[in-house]
Amino acid sequence: MKRRTLLKTLTGIGMAGVLPMSLVRPAFGATADRFLITISATGGWDPTSLIDPKGDAPRADGLGPINNYSASEIKSAGNLMYAPYSNQVEAPSIESAGHYDNFFEKHHERLLVINGIDTQTNGHDSGRRFVWSGKLEEGYPTVAALAAAPFADQPMAFISNGGYDFTASIVAPVRTASAATFNQLAFPNSQFPADPELLEVGFFTETQYSLVQQAREARLTRQRITESLPKRQKQMDQLQTVKNTDVELQSLLEFLPEEVSSGLAGQGEVAVAAFASGLAVSANLSLSGFDTHGDHDLDHTPTMTELLEGIDTLWDQIEAQGLEDKVTVVIGSDFGRTPFYNQGDGKDHWNITSVMAMGAGITGNRVIGATDENYEAFKLNPSTLQPDDNGIIVTPQHVHRSLRDFLGIQSDLDNLFPIAVESLDLFG
Amino acid sequence: MAGIRFFTLLLAALIGLGALSNMAAAQSGSSIPYFEENILHIPRIDVEGFGSLKLELALQDESTLTFSLLSAVDADSSLTPGATYDLNSSILSVPLVQADTEFYALELQLQPGDLFQVLIANETVLTGQQEYNEQCASCHGVDGQGAAVAVSLVNCANCSSADILGTYIENVMPVGTPDSCVGNCAADVANYILTLFQVDDSPMVVQTIDAIESLSLEDTLRKASLQLVSRLPTDGEVNQVASGGENGLRAVLDGMMTEDAFYDRLIEIFNDLILTDRYLTGNGQFAEAINLMRIFPDAFWFGDPRTAERNAEYFSNVVTTNDAIAREPLQLINFVVKNELPMTEILTADYFMVNPYSAKSYGVFDELSFQDEYDVDEWLPAQLNDLEIQTRNGTIPVGDIPHAGILTSLMFLNRYPTSDTNRNRGRSRVTYDLFLDVDILALEGTRPDGEAVDISSPAPTLDNDDCVVCHALLDPVASSFENWTENGFYVPNLPWYDDMFQAGFAGVDRPASEEPTSLQWLASEIAIDPRFDDAMVRLVYNGLVGREPLDPPGDDGTDAEWDAYNAESVHLDELKSAYVADNQNLKTLIKEIVLSPYWRAESLENESFAIVHEETGAARLLSPEMLHRKIDALLGFEWRGPLDFYNITKDIDSQARLLDDNQFYQQIYGGIDSFVVTERLTEPNGLMVAVQERMGNELACYAIPNDFLADAEDRLLMPYVEKETQPIGNSNQSAIMNNIQHLHSHLLAENLEIGDPELDATYDLFVAALEAGQDAIGVTENGDLPFSCRRTRDLITGADLASPLTADPDYVMRAWMTVAAYLMSDYRFVYE
Repeated sequence: MKRRTLLKTLTGIGMAGVLPMSLVRPAFGATADRFLITISATGGWDPTSLIDPKGDAPRADGLGPINNYSASEIKSAGNLMYAPYSNQVEAPSIESAGHYDNFFEKHHERLLVINGIDTQTNGHDSGRRFVWSGKLEEGYPTVAALAAAPFADQPMAFISNGGYDFTASIVAPVRTASAATFNQLAFPNSQFPADPELLEVGFFTETQYSLVQQAREARLTRQRITESLPKRQKQMDQLQTVKNTDVELQSLLEFLPEEVSSGLAGQGEVAVAAFASGLAVSANLSLSGFDTHGDHDLDHTPTMTELLEGIDTLWDQIEAQGLEDKVTVVIGSDFGRTPFYNQGDGKDHWNITSVMAMGAGITGNRVIGATDENYEAFKLNPSTLQPDDNGIIVTPQHVHRSLRDFLGIQSDLDNLFPIAVESLDLFG
Repeated sequence: MAGIRFFTLLLAALIGLGALSNMAAAQSGSSIPYFEENILHIPRIDVEGFGSLKLELALQDESTLTFSLLSAVDADSSLTPGATYDLNSSILSVPLVQADTEFYALELQLQPGDLFQVLIANETVLTGQQEYNEQCASCHGVDGQGAAVAVSLVNCANCSSADILGTYIENVMPVGTPDSCVGNCAADVANYILTLFQVDDSPMVVQTIDAIESLSLEDTLRKASLQLVSRLPTDGEVNQVASGGENGLRAVLDGMMTEDAFYDRLIEIFNDLILTDRYLTGNGQFAEAINLMRIFPDAFWFGDPRTAERNAEYFSNVVTTNDAIAREPLQLINFVVKNELPMTEILTADYFMVNPYSAKSYGVFDELSFQDEYDVDEWLPAQLNDLEIQTRNGTIPVGDIPHAGILTSLMFLNRYPTSDTNRNRGRSRVTYDLFLDVDILALEGTRPDGEAVDISSPAPTLDNDDCVVCHALLDPVASSFENWTENGFYVPNLPWYDDMFQAGFAGVDRPASEEPTSLQWLASEIAIDPRFDDAMVRLVYNGLVGREPLDPPGDDGTDAEWDAYNAESVHLDELKSAYVADNQNLKTLIKEIVLSPYWRAESLENESFAIVHEETGAARLLSPEMLHRKIDALLGFEWRGPLDFYNITKDIDSQARLLDDNQFYQQIYGGIDSFVVTERLTEPNGLMVAVQERMGNELACYAIPNDFLADAEDRLLMPYVEKETQPIGNSNQSAIMNNIQHLHSHLLAENLEIGDPELDATYDLFVAALEAGQDAIGVTENGDLPFSCRRTRDLITGADLASPLTADPDYVMRAWMTVAAYLMSDYRFVYE
């Protein structure tokens, strides 16, 4: 079914923007108790500077080196290999949770790495689309939207922090801000939402506010009945659907840290609190700054540190809420970066990339896929997942086929946005 | 035998009715008779004594090819007769009948019983048809409706005349091999396309557009005023429209389009697609725009960032200068529109825009004559001549910069950077998308789905057909950027790649002599391409209506979708013609869109058109910026918290509830930062509705007491009542009802007569709130306004008020606050 036909179908059932839960069989029951976080390293990260390290051996074609560190310095944690820091830059503080040594020591047992994924593009838009939807062409929702669609009647089912967040109208994306904002919105009638002692002091008394709320609801119903322009009818339906949903933002506040962090870490804190409070099912987190066409080592290193710090904070939050058996985290990027430096010490776009995953259902301490000395992907045997000259090149299509199966996104919704490739057991 | 051939066709039609259905939609505006679903349609035949008739003949007997007359009604006189009837011989001659993608010449003999039997059915080929099917149909479809690899030809950008289309085909098409269809081939194909695939003012198009019932001119004025200049119309403007009708409205709009607020809105509209506001302070990294131009010796004219004291003045200069540099491409658009220059100037301008701050960074301040050195709103065109840049190795002369409007803008080039492997293809894609209305990414359908493209040849973008399809379009434009580095600087005479299509456009190679001024050449070529005008229509339509023009429905399109597309497409062509005729003056395009039924749509003539007009109308969830301005226009203050502190908060950017994305709601309410978040939310979600609710509550609290501080004749909201007026006695009740009527009109643009149930409902809310509140006074309530609603200080100066407003002894103001909260979270308030 084409996207337009899908949208017509959705409109036809009066749920423009909201899919009925029956379209998808949730993984574990009717209410969400399995959650998905996608983290986009926006701009195109360099896996050879992280989990697919190569070293500085000269390339046969003279383009090298791939990295500014020696292959002999490449490190390991369990079965994972990871890059040392470039000898051209200062490593981050050893105290940082985002320092490679700390990060991989702490998390390697739960990390799955898939290397050698061919995105078939070096365009940002198409790369992001392919990596997060499994479809190079336009029209497919991000997998986070697919995960949230069965629970679209939850007020914050899919939290988006930018990046690729196309939803094909199967669920409304929700954007968030600071903790203070949640206070204001959780108590829309409070004059002093930030002050616990004065929280109950409203602009209106309960009686007055109840009158206003009743009048608002009745008015929208009357407007919808008398409206004759289809577009406005649709908008009123959407508004009424959302207004009829209880937004229990107060419960979110109970799970937020006292001080919500900034940046990626803060995005993660809000997402986990929203999961814990039952308001959200999926979230995409986003960190930009990876598009390092100039001074690659200098600019990529701190951004990678921030990424890993954010993941570390996220995992701490997940554990603090006791959600480690329910939240799956998938980390990826638009594509990779060239296995050589350009004249400005930068690295340009390269179609090969990696994906990391951790959390619920993921068997960690594993690496699937590989790349050669020039950072080209090896073919994989679809059954053994080992390099095989007669195998297949893994693309984001395979990743998403496997991810969808792993997450339990099945039947009708899966068929609406089909990914027709063999299913590899990448995540199981 | 021809008859057998026709019979075969009929059988095929019976089997493949689904495949034919789309043709009917494409033909709805055509004069050509066609055969579909066993019915022979003749849109117009002139019969002596009967006038112009539209006939439908139903196939009654396949074995004898006999038709019966199904209907005969008056024909659309604008169509060309497609058949003749000889009264003497009783022969109906139809020289051209379309059946699916084939054509026949028919003669039918009238038989007893009003039956027509086919005498002759000769297959015929329309001039240009064979060439079209051989060279064009594989991409554009045999029906011209486009496919994954090429756009629809229905009312296409180059279809304004046979000459224009023929020339375009001769120079450009087929992509990559334009030499294969030139001369007669190009002319014939052009005629074929124009004959078969164009719809104009067909009855269905006219009916579809006529089915839209538009807002009154007065309401259109209000809507335009709020949307374009963020204020309500003045009495003078209302009178001008009342007396001058549509032309009066055009004149008022002309006046509005001289106001600063209009240019703020224009920037918003264009930035939503160009996204160069990414470099404004707060959207990306701090001082990013200045840092992008740090090779200019005076970039940090206010102090070397390594040594300067970081005081308030320093940071003020950083922010002001940075934002001036960031806004350069959008200010060029403003300059072009303000001076009513042809819009092509946004690409062909041999200058760029600076204000006093950015002029200093670019080192051109002394060459210009600014009236006020500190006026950030004073923008002048400038050129970079004899430029020298600062490098690690010292100062290097660059010479004169060949400006080409936005294409050579430092901000544009950095917003869409390139790389050694990308080779400016990203810039080319954006150029096509923004300025030629061509979405290159939509051509990706030819890429083998999910499987690697064969890139084993030496230059697949030149010699692999799968690649050439896109790259023959993409790469000549990409190569035209060859003198501009990944950082957006001009470096001529650099070696360029020879394994890709070289600089050019639309089948024309860039002359070698233009190599140093390659982008100026490209801009001049784009400027004469009619697709540029389509791009402007799409861009402005999107900005004003809230969605892009409809795309061709494609293979699975219903008749209703085709009718919707054809009608809107024809109408937009008319608007585009007016804009082009007025020297590509964008103001004209804006005026025509505002006056169009698609922008003014209020209701439909009857429900039968509901399915056709599913997307019609400019009703939209207001963006946070638009809602912010609307609040100011209707209430006289912005949403920035309690008004007793407004004299402070009005100058603090982060206090604007709908503009700040950190502590408040700009992002939550669907705004963009032009960087990570580039798509606006157009449908509400739970958090956005919570914002609406809080907004209604807060604004009601602030607005009602604030309004009562003014004299009645100066009040925006409460001109008919006093803060003590209770619904006691006919006079008071009438005044309260009049005020409610005014509030519906003022806040919601809802002009209701006294007695309307909606006014009664609001009145009931007021009375219920008042009675409940009065009952509670002395029990759970007192006679004071809520703390945040009290007014003790002047709104602007902050000075203590001589008569503070803190008491509400009879609960009247609080009852009005419930009314205001009710109305200011209404659909009509948050949508426009």
